[in-house]
Amino acid sequence: MRWLRFIIGLLIALTLHSLLDSFYPNALAFFNPYAILVVYYSMGGNVLGAIIAGVAAGFVQDAFSNTIFGLHAFSLTICAYAVAYINSRLVLRGTLAFGACLGGAVIVNELVIYILVNILLKQRIEMFEQQLLVKTIFTTLFGMAIYQLMLLFLREEPIEATQRQAGW
Amino acid sequence: MAAPADVIPRRPTLLLVVVLSLLFVLMSFSSRTRYVGETRTLFERTVMTILSPVPRAVHWLGSGASDMYHGYIDMRRAVAENYQLHHQLADLTADNLKLRQSDADLRRLRSLLAYSDQIDLETSMAQVIMLDTSSSFKSVIIDRGSASGVEINDTIVNSSGLIGRVVLTTKDLAKVQLMTDSNCSVGALIERTRRQGVVRGDAATGAQMYDVPSLADVQPGDQVLTAGIDGIFPKGIPIGTVVQAQRGQDLFKRITVRPAVDFGNIEEVIVIHTRKIPPEIVRYAP
Repeated sequence: MRWLRFIIGLLIALTLHSLLDSFYPNALAFFNPYAILVVYYSMGGNVLGAIIAGVAAGFVQDAFSNTIFGLHAFSLTICAYAVAYINSRLVLRGTLAFGACLGGAVIVNELVIYILVNILLKQRIEMFEQQLLVKTIFTTLFGMAIYQLMLLFLREEPIEATQRQAGW
Repeated sequence: MAAPADVIPRRPTLLLVVVLSLLFVLMSFSSRTRYVGETRTLFERTVMTILSPVPRAVHWLGSGASDMYHGYIDMRRAVAENYQLHHQLADLTADNLKLRQSDADLRRLRSLLAYSDQIDLETSMAQVIMLDTSSSFKSVIIDRGSASGVEINDTIVNSSGLIGRVVLTTKDLAKVQLMTDSNCSVGALIERTRRQGVVRGDAATGAQMYDVPSLADVQPGDQVLTAGIDGIFPKGIPIGTVVQAQRGQDLFKRITVRPAVDFGNIEEVIVIHTRKIPPEIVRYAP
């Protein structure tokens, strides 16, 4: 069931990606729907599942972004792992906790991409600091709003705090 | 708040390292293929192909919705524009009618003024305010009377020719007997041959010319002018055109004249203040 929700979430993220790409091409520079999905999933604390979710979401984002293939998969996998690892050790609940995780994940994601682009393409991302700040704020606020809506309307515990058992 | 140490996975960390290494290799390969002209790897293309229906559907739906929205907005705009244009058209049509009226007035008045300048006698302009050509007594009423110097027997013309004479005046108005009235007689001549006669109004044909001998040369199309011999109408004003000239049963021809003036659309007229012959001279007999 959780994987089904992840797949639906991935399709929604891709739809959002395509919509923004079609009508507001610059919007994706300030907003990352895949990060919201991966963090939401990773907050369950299942590290293995988080890694798979990060790779899958990253590949989808890579396929429809004009970047090096695997770049977002790499960065999102690290984010997913970090969030899942933290959640496997600490019980983080509530919208604020989700927002904190998401904000941190976005920052880590952007920093990893920045470093990889520097290493692999020998290029610098222009206006990186401003972009990082805006992307973190927008993605975090949007993600928190979605999380809150899901808490209100789905009436389901999004963080499966009890399912801590991770592993193969 | 801290979780027990045994739930912290170890193998997934190893998995993470493996996955990241593989991804790094994939990225290196992908970045290298960009330099040799190949923009997408086979794996990348496969992922794109599998997921391509989503962006395609989004694009289809988005462009459909966008077209519908813009179509609706355009339609609303077109309706508003159409409404506005209808109003504008109505206003412009009214303006156009006014301008046409003004233009026609201007042309008519200009021609009247030019005609008025050709007449040596004193003249004044007047407006027809009532027209009665249907009854047996054909007349019009003009908006100038004795206060404006209009007198009985003053000649009324317009740019086309003779209209009639004043038969009654008040201070502000005057009644004009039309030349088509059967009681109106005008001394006339054929312009081409200078043959004189008398034109009288005729209810059926407009006017008839009398007292022209049967042997006189009168042809259809001849212009008929006032002869200036009746003591009322000045000489040389166009009366009409001969449309028929037949030999009569007596010594005179039967000549039908079509009046030069269209009595159905008289608006402005010129009043010619003709020189009156004193009654003593008219009545005097040696």
